[in-house]
Amino acid sequence: MVAGDGQKIAAVTSDGNVPAVGERVRSSGNIPLSSTTSLGAKVRQWWPYYAMMAPGLLFFFIWHYVPIWEAKMAFEQVRIIPPNIWVGLKNFQQLFSSPIFYQVLANTLIISGMKILFVFPVPIIVALLLNEIRSGKLRGFVQSAIYLPHFLSWVVIAGVFIALLSPTDGAVNQIQNAFGFPSVNYMTNTGTIRWVLVISEIWRSAGWDSLLYLAAIFAIDPQLYEAAEMDGANRWQKIWHVTIPGIVPTIATLFILNMGMFLSADLNQVINMQNDVNASTIDILDTYVYRLGLSTGEYALATAAGLFKAVIGMILVVSSHLVSKRLTGKGLW
Amino acid sequence: MTIKKLLLATTAVALLGASIAPAMAQTTIRLVSKDLLTTNPDDMKEIEEIEAGLKAAGHDIDIQTVDLPGGTAAYVDALGVMLLSGDIPDIIYFQGGDQKMAEQGILEDLNPFIEKSEHIKDALWPHNVDRLANYPYLLYIYPPRAPQPVIRQDWLDQLGMEPPKTVEEYEALFQAIHDADLDGDGTPGNTLGLTGFGNTNELDSIFNQAFGVTGTWMKNADGAWVNSRVTDAEKAKIEFYARLAEKGLFDKEYVTNTFDVKEDKFYTGKAGVVFGSSPEVIDIYAGKMRQAHPGEDITLALLPIPSGPGGQGLAAVDVSKESRGFAISSLSEHKDEAFAVLDFMASKEGQDIDRLGFEGVHHNTDASGAVTFTDQISTWYARFFNAANWVPPTPLLSPTAQAALDTIKDNFVADNAFVWPADYAADVDATEQVYRSWVAKFITGEASLDQWQQFVDEYNAAGGTRMAEYAATVLK
Repeated sequence: MVAGDGQKIAAVTSDGNVPAVGERVRSSGNIPLSSTTSLGAKVRQWWPYYAMMAPGLLFFFIWHYVPIWEAKMAFEQVRIIPPNIWVGLKNFQQLFSSPIFYQVLANTLIISGMKILFVFPVPIIVALLLNEIRSGKLRGFVQSAIYLPHFLSWVVIAGVFIALLSPTDGAVNQIQNAFGFPSVNYMTNTGTIRWVLVISEIWRSAGWDSLLYLAAIFAIDPQLYEAAEMDGANRWQKIWHVTIPGIVPTIATLFILNMGMFLSADLNQVINMQNDVNASTIDILDTYVYRLGLSTGEYALATAAGLFKAVIGMILVVSSHLVSKRLTGKGLW
Repeated sequence: MTIKKLLLATTAVALLGASIAPAMAQTTIRLVSKDLLTTNPDDMKEIEEIEAGLKAAGHDIDIQTVDLPGGTAAYVDALGVMLLSGDIPDIIYFQGGDQKMAEQGILEDLNPFIEKSEHIKDALWPHNVDRLANYPYLLYIYPPRAPQPVIRQDWLDQLGMEPPKTVEEYEALFQAIHDADLDGDGTPGNTLGLTGFGNTNELDSIFNQAFGVTGTWMKNADGAWVNSRVTDAEKAKIEFYARLAEKGLFDKEYVTNTFDVKEDKFYTGKAGVVFGSSPEVIDIYAGKMRQAHPGEDITLALLPIPSGPGGQGLAAVDVSKESRGFAISSLSEHKDEAFAVLDFMASKEGQDIDRLGFEGVHHNTDASGAVTFTDQISTWYARFFNAANWVPPTPLLSPTAQAALDTIKDNFVADNAFVWPADYAADVDATEQVYRSWVAKFITGEASLDQWQQFVDEYNAAGGTRMAEYAATVLK
């Protein structure tokens, strides 16, 4: 790459950093600490980078920022023929006054809590285990095998789990029966269905989600492992003292982002696993809003619920960021 | 000819053309329907035939279909967003979400059009008339959906039993199916008498009246209106279902069964009786059963409506409104032409196109005018209506399916359900959830019928009491 002033950019600086976009390279080839160049000049100089960034920025602006303004629909009565009518908090009152709203909210919190507690750590463990496989071929095979469920839709996965867990001819119950245990209809048992959600989520996403952690593990400086070995560390000690601390920033970031989605307990998963018996146990905010809002054309109600979730999500993100900063020194910003 | 004469003649021709043109102008009607897509050649060919038929009837209309995603849920979602964005076609097929549009005055009152219609008023089924009187925005000319039970005729013969006529005889039939080794797998006792899918709606179709569940709202001993779901009649019916399930006669996995799983259990002999949701579906079941057992000439027998402690009959039909159907936009500039399209589809010519498929593909007509169907007719389905007064040139239904249709016609009873105001949406949803959940728990054994009062209390707390109070103001 040749910079505007004709100086070749070093691949990395002496401290291992890559020069940032827009930073001018001095004649010496070193990266300046600051720049006083105007924005216009920067754009003219680095326009190919800005051009590459533009579609992404445009995408975010159109699909993530413009809709924020339309969230005002939560406070309106939506009219097909404009204008909408301002109704204040009426949609929120309708949402919160539903006889089953608090049960739905409780279900959402329980299921999301279970997923954070039991699903979130699994990809980390999977990544750590994958990293310990020495044979490249075996690791490739295992990775491919555990990634595959990610590409299956919840319709298919629900079908697989319903068949597997069938009390009459499902494999799980047949194994139970072989050991003398009675059959259990896991899909219609209010005590087990939430665990079915957790386990199916793990099966589907653990492999794929481990990719990020695996990438973080690969970025750890090998010299740290060599130093640990010289100090006589065994495998477990290397994992505990080198690998895990090395991926803590990634874990913290993903945890905080997951907290932002805390009230989204996966509509597709639940709607495909839901039936009349378990509905009261796994009816979540998303299914409730879909049923009451979207399928009946009550878009304002659905937007009110979405806004409620977004506000809670924002509060959780900010508070987990602050907690993470205090505990690990790492956060989102 | 002088230049002046030439100019005069040209002007005259132009004026004549201009005066004729409006009379011959083609009207463009935009139509959105789940079952009409530009990507389906059959759909487009049908539209062409409809346009030709309309032209022959004096309506020069160009029908432009609007593509939306297939599948009911995706269609409903996409339609809602499309209408909300202000893109409102002239004719709209709704499968939910219409009430919100009607409340905002987007949908045209169809009754004045129907009153002066050439064909539709004669094509309506009795429940259509009632529904249009209550909610005049949707038109869906089909017989009411009343699921009815069917069994393999050869299985019934093997059992040496007559079709059951009472609730007790139904239980005896299910027991006999369960105990015999009709599927020939060498293991008696592993066949379900009856299977279903999702909920108990199908069963309710024939057992509601038998147990005295006469309608959505019933009067209690004090003369007050109560929802039938919390009555003793309902409890007796659920007890019957739960007993069947406990004895292994009714499929406890009905809640997790999808419709195709239900069908598969029937075709593979894991269940003896299933409900067909309509006469046409019963014929589809018969065809699939023959495909699953090549070489065997299997026919299905329709089982009769049983009598019980509460009476006999098909479940009362909700006539508060159509749950799906065609609407005309009140913003359309061509309402008359839009209705002309719907009216044509209810005519003999329109029904011939919509029900018989294409000449040479789905049916053949000989020189005498006699129509014979090809094998392809099994892939054809009506996109618009099933008119009550249309008689096919050759029977479209098998004798079993025709018997099912006759049963529907003979047993129509209007329900007293009504359309809920928007303010009650959360209560309706909550009580529905409570009812469905408890019924499934009672039947699968997760809850005991001893907990009935607990269910009633929960139902009333979830909105049942408020709804009953409102019902008392609506019902006479």
